[in-house]
Amino acid sequence: MTAFWRRNSSGLITLLLLTPALVSFFGLFFYPMVLTLILSFRPEGEILGWTLENYGRFLSNPDGRWVIVLTFILALASTALSILLSVPLALILREKVRGHRFYRLIVLVPLVIPGLIGALGLLLFWGTRGWFNLFLTQFVPFVERPFPVDYTLHGLIMFYVWLYFPYTCVTTLSSLESLDRSIEEAGAVSGATRWQVLRHIVLPLITPAILAGSVLTFMAAFGAFSVPLIAGGNYRPLSVEIYKEISIFIPARWSAASAIAVVMGVLQVIFLSLYMRYVRRAGGAGGSR
Amino acid sequence: MTDAMIEFRDVSKRYGSLVANDHLSLTIRRGELMTLLGPSGCGKTTALRCLTGYIRPDEGRIFIDGKDVTDVPTHQRELGMVFQNFALFPHLTVRDNVGFPLMIRNLPKDQRTKMAADALRLVRLEGFESHYPRQLSGGQQQRVGLARALVYRPKVLLLDEPLSNLDAKLREEMRFEIKELVTRLGITAVYVTHDQAEALALSDRVAIMHRGRLEQVGTPEEIYEQPQSRFVAEFIGLSNFLEGRIEAVDGASMRVTVGDLRLTAPALPHTGPGQRVLLFVRPNEIELLGPDEPAGENVFEAQVEKATYLGDSMDYRLTFGQGLALRVQGDAQRRLSPGAPVRLRLPRIRCWAITAG
Amino acid sequence: MRLARAYIRGLWDGRMILGYTLLLSLTLFIVAPFLMIALRSVGKGWFGRLWLPPQLTLDWYRWAVEVGNIPEVMKNTLIIGIIATAISTVIGIFAGWAFGRRQMPGKEVAMAIVLLPRMIPPITYALGVAKIFYTLELVDTYLGVALAHVSVCAPYAILVLSATFEGLDERVLEAADVCGANTVKRFFYVVLPLIMPGILASMIFTFTHSYNEFTLTLLTYGPHTVTLPVRTYLAVGDGYWEITSAMAVIMVVPSLVILAMIQRRAEPEKLVGGFKGV
Repeated sequence: MTAFWRRNSSGLITLLLLTPALVSFFGLFFYPMVLTLILSFRPEGEILGWTLENYGRFLSNPDGRWVIVLTFILALASTALSILLSVPLALILREKVRGHRFYRLIVLVPLVIPGLIGALGLLLFWGTRGWFNLFLTQFVPFVERPFPVDYTLHGLIMFYVWLYFPYTCVTTLSSLESLDRSIEEAGAVSGATRWQVLRHIVLPLITPAILAGSVLTFMAAFGAFSVPLIAGGNYRPLSVEIYKEISIFIPARWSAASAIAVVMGVLQVIFLSLYMRYVRRAGGAGGSR
Repeated sequence: MTDAMIEFRDVSKRYGSLVANDHLSLTIRRGELMTLLGPSGCGKTTALRCLTGYIRPDEGRIFIDGKDVTDVPTHQRELGMVFQNFALFPHLTVRDNVGFPLMIRNLPKDQRTKMAADALRLVRLEGFESHYPRQLSGGQQQRVGLARALVYRPKVLLLDEPLSNLDAKLREEMRFEIKELVTRLGITAVYVTHDQAEALALSDRVAIMHRGRLEQVGTPEEIYEQPQSRFVAEFIGLSNFLEGRIEAVDGASMRVTVGDLRLTAPALPHTGPGQRVLLFVRPNEIELLGPDEPAGENVFEAQVEKATYLGDSMDYRLTFGQGLALRVQGDAQRRLSPGAPVRLRLPRIRCWAITAG
Repeated sequence: MRLARAYIRGLWDGRMILGYTLLLSLTLFIVAPFLMIALRSVGKGWFGRLWLPPQLTLDWYRWAVEVGNIPEVMKNTLIIGIIATAISTVIGIFAGWAFGRRQMPGKEVAMAIVLLPRMIPPITYALGVAKIFYTLELVDTYLGVALAHVSVCAPYAILVLSATFEGLDERVLEAADVCGANTVKRFFYVVLPLIMPGILASMIFTFTHSYNEFTLTLLTYGPHTVTLPVRTYLAVGDGYWEITSAMAVIMVVPSLVILAMIQRRAEPEKLVGGFKGV
């Protein structure tokens, strides 16, 4: 017995240390996920039995398929726009222009604000009575009616960008700052203009970071819940659809909700692995280590 | 077609209250290898970067091959540069690294390949075209950097402490190769380093800088044997300093009183009796005499304070006169112990004087 | 195509001005929503096309406190936050110690697994959590909601604390031993002071996340455990933007204050870290 202890004591102590974390992980995450999976195969409201009707009902319904497409549209569009916003921003911020610390702080603000509050403020600002439309109708010629942003698809995409672009921006910026400036100097001495240095040297070297950051943005956008909940209007992505099943219907449709949750989880995992494989291939060929 | 390839005219650069370059004026001749030598912070790197254009001087003008390039941006100056940390493009192969300046100049692909191959042959790195920088050793990476700098045959090659990141043995090899390459190609080169051995070994001329100013410009021999200031004498090689006053001048030599002793040294132009001077003499040029050798010019009785065995030599600290200290390098064969009396001679021609005060 | 190239070149040449324009627009973009919330929360009679409210008032805040039950909601939020932070920190200390200082096969994989609850959209497993809580009668209890928070907060605590423990230089401990400290003394005089900043940081992060946590709370709350985020959401549903704004302000101000304080001390950009394996 003591021999066993002596040989394995180190491993056992490690295991002991990990116990609280393991309990929390299994009890509060893993088991609930398994439960969701099981529930998704149960007929609605019943305790036993297996069925595929929950999936069938969701996926065969054109509305259901639209929900999936919508979630991807929102996530992809906002990720793409985030990249377009973050890269120039990061390039500017690394030059340490006046007040750059302030601007860096500003970029971090959406990260620490709960999505709920951000969505609220965005609705107020871009709404028909908000400053944006006031500016548009009063100062921009030819515009008489307010431009609808609230509860529209393009509005929702912009809200997502507001909330989630910092992930891309911060990773891009930190990669930019870890670049050795003498490489750029070498490029300049070799005859490259600033634009050529950017295009041939800097951008290829930061592309892995941009992609890594955009993965974070994508994941946040795909799983966004509170924002579309209050600002989506009729646009309901997967997360809201799940909630709808258990909040609007009485009795709550747990099985239907679970099926949608499983679909959401599976889609996310598939997309992520494809994206990661693409990132690795793009990063590996031209990237630096 | 002037002889001057590069010219700094009254170049100054300040960073806040720090003066990095202080009215620097220097001419570098066509085809020569000039080293900017000095301790860190002396302004040599700033001067080099003013030359590349990465830094704009606050005052003064810079000329390359007769043309005023002060307002010309870096990428149009047609220079080649080798960096301390190699600065290779990690995401490009060796071939693309070396060919980068050619790609920027829109040369056709086959010409690029040929010129890159030629450059790699120059630095003896054929066969590594498809490697990435991270797969190469430090010395190999530096050669790639050299090839990239030379591939389009610039008129001027700049080297910013290129050997600092290599180990000692490699450094000596590369030193030789660089000098040989530059001489063979007939390129004007500006070399920046803080390593005086490197500077003396490589250069046609050395410019010693201190606190943003030029202390002395000359050939390695001139710098070593005829330092014009205390700083230069202290910076290059080891030195002993003796403060004294000129007593009399006699043609080509002069008598200097140091404490209560009299020394004879080569005469210093534009000086006369009463002038305070500083005498240098190198530790390895002081002779330690045997007991039966006669007294003579510049021969003094001294006492050994400290003796350190260094394997190939002995390092002594001696005192003579009234508390004057000297560091002397002696033969390892003949070991003197502390407390031993000894006679030493400071050969006249080895005493070099500059004015003090 | 040539037009596009000329356009980009034009942008590139004017990049100084463009850069500042971008920065200023960005600031406006980010800050404006908050200004609107703040103004709405104190505006009276602000209908129609007005830039600023005609009158200022604290009525909405008064309403939030008296009728909207904010003090009680705040109390709930804080209690739940404290419980969640306590549990998460304990989990984090033990697990962090294991990750940071002990041998573990597949450490990177284990860390990725630990972070899964942050990578998977919470709504997916919130369903399961809610179902379990219903069975265990943990819905609408402080402990229940706190536990739900732990599932998203503990990963952060583990992440921060593993880094903290990993950063404990072996040689410092060795020096303490050589100086003659026994294990207990070493712990209190050397280890604890060194890990305290990490523990504090983890506690701040954890508490902030619990404070702002919405999705899981929404599925596990009840009349006795309404937290600030949930209460604000309910106010949105009621449709009174002014009151909702007041509640939002009450909710957000502490977070911004903490961010400002942290910014002075550390690099909050590390908040984003933890996905290095991605």
